[in-house]
Amino acid sequence: MRPGTRYALRSVASGLGTLLFVVIFNFFLFRMLPGDPIGLYTRGRNVPPEQIEALRAELDRPLVEQFLGYLANPFSSTINSARFNQPVWTLIGERVGATLLLVGTAIVLASIVGTWLGIRSAWQRGQRFDNVSTGLTLTLYSMPEFWLGMILLIVFGVGVGFLPGMFPIGGIITPGVDPSSLAGILDIAWHMVLPVTTLTAVYLAEYALVMRASLLDEMGQDYLVVARAKGLMDKVVRRRHAVPNAMLPTITLIFMNLGFVISGAITVETVFSWPGLGLLSYDALRGPDIALLQAIFLLFSIGVILANVAADLVYAVLDPRVRA
Amino acid sequence: MHTRALRRTGAALLAAAAVALTGAPGIAPAEESPSAVPAAAATGPYTVGMTTDVDSLNPFTGIVAESFEMYQLMYPTLTTSSAEDFSPVPDLAESWTESADQTTWTYRIRPDLTWSDGTPLTARDAAYSFNRVIDGDYEQTNYGGYVANITRAEAPDDTTLVLTVSKPTPLMDRLAVYILPEHVWREIDGKEVRSFPNEPTDGQPIVGAGPYLLVERQKGQFLRFQANPTHWRGKPAFDELVFRVYENDDALGQALRKGEVDFAHDMQANVFDAISGDSVITPIEAANYDFSEIGFNTGAALADGTPIGDGHPALRDTRVRQALNWAIDRQVLVDKVLAGHGTPGSTVIPPLYTTLHLKPANPYTYDPARAGQLLDEAGYPLGADGKRQDTDGTPLTLRLLGRQESQESQQTVQFVQGWLEDLGITVETKIVSEDTLIELNGQGNFDIFEWGWGVEPDPDYQLSTFTCAQRSSEDDGTIYAGLSDSHFCNEEYDRLYAEQATQTDPVQRAETVRQMQQILYDEAPYAVTYYPDMLQARRTDAAHALVAQPTTSADGRPGRQLFQFGTWTYDAIQPGAAPADGASDAAGTQDTSAGGVSPAVIGGAAALAVLGIAAAVLLGRRRRSDEDVE
Repeated sequence: MRPGTRYALRSVASGLGTLLFVVIFNFFLFRMLPGDPIGLYTRGRNVPPEQIEALRAELDRPLVEQFLGYLANPFSSTINSARFNQPVWTLIGERVGATLLLVGTAIVLASIVGTWLGIRSAWQRGQRFDNVSTGLTLTLYSMPEFWLGMILLIVFGVGVGFLPGMFPIGGIITPGVDPSSLAGILDIAWHMVLPVTTLTAVYLAEYALVMRASLLDEMGQDYLVVARAKGLMDKVVRRRHAVPNAMLPTITLIFMNLGFVISGAITVETVFSWPGLGLLSYDALRGPDIALLQAIFLLFSIGVILANVAADLVYAVLDPRVRA
Repeated sequence: MHTRALRRTGAALLAAAAVALTGAPGIAPAEESPSAVPAAAATGPYTVGMTTDVDSLNPFTGIVAESFEMYQLMYPTLTTSSAEDFSPVPDLAESWTESADQTTWTYRIRPDLTWSDGTPLTARDAAYSFNRVIDGDYEQTNYGGYVANITRAEAPDDTTLVLTVSKPTPLMDRLAVYILPEHVWREIDGKEVRSFPNEPTDGQPIVGAGPYLLVERQKGQFLRFQANPTHWRGKPAFDELVFRVYENDDALGQALRKGEVDFAHDMQANVFDAISGDSVITPIEAANYDFSEIGFNTGAALADGTPIGDGHPALRDTRVRQALNWAIDRQVLVDKVLAGHGTPGSTVIPPLYTTLHLKPANPYTYDPARAGQLLDEAGYPLGADGKRQDTDGTPLTLRLLGRQESQESQQTVQFVQGWLEDLGITVETKIVSEDTLIELNGQGNFDIFEWGWGVEPDPDYQLSTFTCAQRSSEDDGTIYAGLSDSHFCNEEYDRLYAEQATQTDPVQRAETVRQMQQILYDEAPYAVTYYPDMLQARRTDAAHALVAQPTTSADGRPGRQLFQFGTWTYDAIQPGAAPADGASDAAGTQDTSAGGVSPAVIGGAAALAVLGIAAAVLLGRRRRSDEDVE
């Protein structure tokens, strides 16, 4: 077997192992929570005692029986959310699009802008661009998403002083607008501006800082001296020689972050009332809606595991040393 | 410097684009939505913001208050609660009578009504709806309490509904069972109904007969209603009604300031205070149904009297519970925890139920000296170290539980801990989740806790939570909580509870209910801490003629203006500012809500344009620099 194949198999196998662990752990985690969810669910409502007993009987089935039922098909469409009384995967399906749209856009923008900032900063280390850019990204990096989102919302959503409130306060679309029409698409784009800006600002710092650091590492290398000695232009040295080598950590970061596209940004979705999975998990936690929480966590875990495996594989393709 | 200049350019560009596009009339038709009412007659939408989403539009499933607001907009009930004082008034039933032998109730249903799809709405639909709950299994969850004494529902003709009862009950003019269209719901069997969403799928409204018809629902985002033109109280003035969900209290306040919503429901005190000064906003600090309490373990037991749990014996002594009542400074809690938005608590039926609330003759005021005296009498004297002595000579130690879910709960618990420690009691505070608290309550493994209740216009349910029968129950060795979290059990109280449950004369029943409150006040299973206000706010310019329920509570303040028992505001509300506020405002302000689409379209186009320009510039630069290289 070629070393590359062996490496790939090993990555995938370890991914599958983690997945199995998560599936099992996920089941017991939520059943270890103390409390009486049915008591809370029926409190303050005139529910006949027989009905309360029936509800409890459903939750109190023997653990083994529940576990086997769950293992048989963790994605079964018959598991109902306690809060919404609908199949959990139906509820998740309704929300996945909004989150992918928001976080996906933000990650793409952040990786492009962040990487560009990182490259320029490293190349002009110690100069004005670097100072400003590094200062800015560090500030953004340390800024809580919730707070930044709220500031943007007040300044650009409500308007401050002479500045009119241009952007919507929340939601993904204006009620009554058909999302499949041109007006609907523009309306969604308009609603995306503030949440995407918030997420991009927070994410891009990571890319910029990682890219800057790894490019700085490369800049001391002998091969760059050689490249310069050949008389190549500064830009060519940067683009053809230094950057490709320095890209590795950034690419890993991009792929790992793709795993979080699904889990999204609970805080940003909360600030902008963005109807994605983050909000759904927030609602599920308030229940607590165990069936829904379990499904959401399973999905989040799968996302992260897949992204990790993908990052491993891509890394191997880009860097032959890893394969050995 | 550079960044600032850049930003200003960006803003200018956006503004320019907006101006350019506003001038272009070609954009306007795009805002037409498929199910919109003819533009000429359209008013609204009136947009209501709330922080909790509807959990289900199926009236057999939903549990949050927001869901019940939707149900009452869509479906009628036999009777409803008046806006003035919650007294029962006609809704679908024009009148009703109890038979002389007290075994049947006859309701006269309004004649010549139709559901929104044109099918006649008759007493048969009402009989079907009641029988569905009576015979149902899952259907009992939300409405079983109302039909507990009803054995049969029959419709001898289209305008007569007869309900047969097993014993006299005062609930019969307050049956909040939604009347559903039989021709729709009979297709949904008892199994299917559990996960039936009852949401519009094809742009057709859900078949209903309330003042508004549901036409669109996007989970986590909004619900859109259209006025029902055939409603018997007349078509509501706003053609469209929208409920928007904001999962964040600050955002709700900002949305109101901006005009993205016209009405904000259930606001946080700090947000409410922050927007109250705004000239276009009318704050509504409304008397509310809720009370909060410090509850005591009065001697946990199963319903049959078997003691359970590890509650401190001191709290079984009425004098100790009274002492703790004297030790709580309720005004401080109102001022500090509620930021002034509430009133000090006394009895378990809040003062907005003017006919039922008991105002105690000798209220528990803040009197630590009296509290200390009662503790001395009960046998818990102060030791030399300033600590109260338990019966075995160790320091008297009580556990105090607060709720994770509520900031107010945690603050209250801190204050109470301080006051009890001033009395020399050692307090161990713990914050737990609400479902954990229910479990601890049920097992009797607690001393003192903080929680609260929302009280319906009919007091039966609330009063039942203090009966002996509502203590915990045991099944296969597992102990389950009943409704009683104080495990209070008092023979005289139980006797009065049974009595009020058969008193169909409202005046007599109110008298019994007040006696029961007096027992609870004296025996003190709870120290009712406060009645928090419902904080709502609305844009003054968007509408007028909203209705408060009740008109005035026992402490002289009006109640809430939406999310009431009944659809009073929706029936009465009129577009525009009240004439007294200056009619000239009305026309201008409609833009903010009605024209919501247009700026968004323009904005969206502008955003895309900016992105496009940015991309073009970047690409252009890139190409140029590539050329440099060659």
